[in-house]
Amino acid sequence: MRDEVIITGIGGQGIQLMAKTLALAATRTGLHAMLASDFGGEMRGGPSQASVVVDDEQLRSLPILPAARSAVVMHHKHSAFALDRLVPGGLAVVNSSVADPAAIGDAEVVAIPAVDIARAADAPNAAGFVMLGAYVTLRQLVGVAALGDAMRELVPPYRAQHVAANLRALDAGAGAVLAE
Amino acid sequence: MNGTVPARQLLDGCAAITESAIAAGCRFFAGYPMSPFTGLLENMSRRLPQVGGHCLNAESEIEAVNMALGAAAAGVRAATGSCGQGLALMQETIAELALNELPLVIVNMARNQQDYFQATRGGGWGDYRTITLAPKDVPEAVEHAQLLFHLADRYRAPVLLYGDPLIAQTHVSVDVAARDFGQLPAKDWALDGTSGGTGHSRQIWTWAMGKVSAPGPGPDRHWRAVAAKFEQIARDEARSETHQIDGAETVVVAFGSAGLFVEHVVDELRADGHRVGLFRPVTLWPFPGADLAVATRNASRVLVFELNAGQMLDDVRQFAHDRGVVRFIGGVSIHASGLSFGPLLDAAPIRSRILEATA
Repeated sequence: MRDEVIITGIGGQGIQLMAKTLALAATRTGLHAMLASDFGGEMRGGPSQASVVVDDEQLRSLPILPAARSAVVMHHKHSAFALDRLVPGGLAVVNSSVADPAAIGDAEVVAIPAVDIARAADAPNAAGFVMLGAYVTLRQLVGVAALGDAMRELVPPYRAQHVAANLRALDAGAGAVLAE
Repeated sequence: MNGTVPARQLLDGCAAITESAIAAGCRFFAGYPMSPFTGLLENMSRRLPQVGGHCLNAESEIEAVNMALGAAAAGVRAATGSCGQGLALMQETIAELALNELPLVIVNMARNQQDYFQATRGGGWGDYRTITLAPKDVPEAVEHAQLLFHLADRYRAPVLLYGDPLIAQTHVSVDVAARDFGQLPAKDWALDGTSGGTGHSRQIWTWAMGKVSAPGPGPDRHWRAVAAKFEQIARDEARSETHQIDGAETVVVAFGSAGLFVEHVVDELRADGHRVGLFRPVTLWPFPGADLAVATRNASRVLVFELNAGQMLDDVRQFAHDRGVVRFIGGVSIHASGLSFGPLLDAAPIRSRILEATA
C-alpha cells in the first residue's frame, strides 16, 4: 500500500478536483487508485471530502475508509470524519491559513499556510493545489509534474485560464515542504 | 475518443460499466435519469454514438425498457436500467422479456439493498426469474457487465446487475477488455424486418401461438419450456465466494458492497483471533444455496448482514435452517438524502454487530 488519504474541507475549496487530480496522476503513472467522494448539495460551504487510496497493485479497498494513514485538512469544519479515522501517528497536512494545526491530535502534523503561499504565487484560488503539491512531496507518491498533467486533463476548457496558476501552486506547495 | 479503450483508466462505476458493456458489444441503451443511475445513462449517451450505437433518453422507465425490448427483438445487444424505484415500473416488461425469451441486460443502480426481493422474486407475472449478479466493487462490476450479456444471450432471458451508489460513484483504476465466454448460438430468432404477408415474417410472442402458416407451441407448451429453462439455470448458474471460511465457527452472509465491507471486517476479526468467515452470494438468483450449505457445514452460527429489513435472510434460512443459530444483524440504513446508504455500511458498526452476535 502506498497511501490512503482523506482530503477534507468545504465546498468551493477544490477538494474534489484535488482528489481527482491525485487519483488520475497515480493511474497515469502506472499505479492503481481508488477515489470515493462525499459532498453536500450546497454550491459553497457544505461538507466536501474525498478518500484516495494509491497502491502498486489492483485495489480492493473499502470506499468508506475505516482508517487512513494521511489526512489533508483544508478546513476544520466537517473534518471530524477524516481526523477520527486518521491512524495514530499518521500524517496530517493542515492548511494553517484556515485551520489550527494545534487542534489536531495524535499525528505528524505538517502546517502549510496554503492560502498565503497561493497568494504569494499569484494563484489565490489554488490553495488546494498548494496542499496537494505539499502532500505528494511528503509522501513521495507521484511527481508534481504528473499532478500537473492530470490537472491539465481534468480542468474543463472554460477553466483553461487557471491552468498556469494551478501549476504554480503545485510547485509552491512542493517547494514549501522541500524548504523545511 | 473513438471506440478503442485505453488499457488502464480511472473510471467511476457508471463509466466502467459503460466501457465494459460496449466491449461486450452493447449497442443500444435507453433509460430515464434517476440518481445514482443517471451516471450510467450519461456515459452511455456519450459513448454509444462513438461506437455506432444508439442511446435514448426515454420519457419514463416503462418507455425505456420497452425500447430496449424492441432493440433486443432485432437481435442487438441491448441494455436499460434505473434504480429499484424505476425497475418497479419495468416489471411487466421484464416478465414479457422472460416469457417471450428476449435477452436484455438491466442495471439496477440501486440506492440501497432494499431491492433484493424485487430482483430475486420478480414483480411481473408468470413462471420466470431473473439471473441477478451483485458485484462487491467496481472491478467486479466490470466483469459482471460482460458476463451478463453472455448469460442473457445464452439463455435468451432478461438479466440483472445489482449495483449501488458506492459502485456507481467510486472511481477506480480499471482495465476494461473484451472477455470471451465461449460460443453462442446464432440469433436466428431475431426480427429481420420482413413484414407480415410475405410468408417470411418472424414473430416474437409471449403466448407463442405462431401464425396460421406456422403454428407455434402455444402457451401451455411454451411456458412449461420456459419454466424448465429457469430450473436448469438454477442448477447451473449459481455463483458464490467465500473468505476465511476454513475453521469458521461463525459465517457472515452478505452480498454486494456489504460483502466487501464484511470481508474487511472478517480479516480484522481473524487477526484478533475470532473464528469468523464470509459467504457472499455473487448471484442473488440463482441463490447459491448448495454452496451455502457446504460453507456453513461446520459453523455453529450463521449471521446475515444486509442493508434492508431482512430479505436475503429468507434464502439463507432455506438452506442453513438447521445450523445452530441463524441471526439477522443487518438493518435499514438510509442516507439523509434518501439516495444512498446510511451509517450502518461502515466497518466499525459491522464489526460491533458481529461481535455482539458472537459474544
